Amino acid sequence: MFQNLDVFRTAMAMARHAGVKQAFSAQNIANADTPGYRARDLPEFRDTMRESLMGQRATRENHLNGSTTRTLDFSERRDALDPNGNTVSLEQEMVSAVGAQRQHDRALAIYRNNLNILRTSLGRK
Amino acid sequence: MSAFSDALSVTTTGLQAQAARLRVLSENIANVDTPGYHRKTIPFEVVPTGSDVSGVQPGDVRLDRSELTRIHDPAHPLADGNGNYDGSNVDLIIEIADAREAQRSYEANLKMFQQTREMSSGLMDLLRR
Repeated sequence: MFQNLDVFRTAMAMARHAGVKQAFSAQNIANADTPGYRARDLPEFRDTMRESLMGQRATRENHLNGSTTRTLDFSERRDALDPNGNTVSLEQEMVSAVGAQRQHDRALAIYRNNLNILRTSLGRK
Repeated sequence: MSAFSDALSVTTTGLQAQAARLRVLSENIANVDTPGYHRKTIPFEVVPTGSDVSGVQPGDVRLDRSELTRIHDPAHPLADGNGNYDGSNVDLIIEIADAREAQRSYEANLKMFQQTREMSSGLMDLLRR
């Protein structure tokens, strides 16, 4: 039973991570022409995993599990500096956004399938 | 606020900023033959919109103070003793290139908006079942 709950928790953390990643991509693309803007990047989901298998490092205070460190650890891209000091590459953002969408879809699929397993075990369809 | 609504509001600021830029560009292009017209430029600035994310907003419109082109046309009503008058300092090539860039950025923002909506409707489908 607890294992199942952990699956849900991991799936939701993954979906939430994908959402934040998408928001960062949106921010980078919106600021693609802002002078002096440094593109922001979020670490991959697997890098936010805790050492033990159970649960993730909380990157936001409203994350379901773990500590309440408020800081969102993002990095700034330093490569491909434009003459006006901007480091956004639209192509790179496109890839990152599609990656976020796929991660989100994957997390929702995991969630849905595990929900189906629970429903089946209860004898419902 | 969820990450999705943050993303949507940031994308909206991007769309608005690019639209404002296109408007200024079209003013410049429309006035390319207006005597004494200085081309307008619009700077972009970062503005915080959500808890962690920041969008973009257009700043104050400024005039390009570079020198006006001198056009030789003795028949022109504004011509001085030598037959020259001040044209505009609009360079069509620069304006068109800038418009292309604005269009590209606008489309990227639009694509982002669409994708964020797809993701959030995927979440809604999960709730609907």
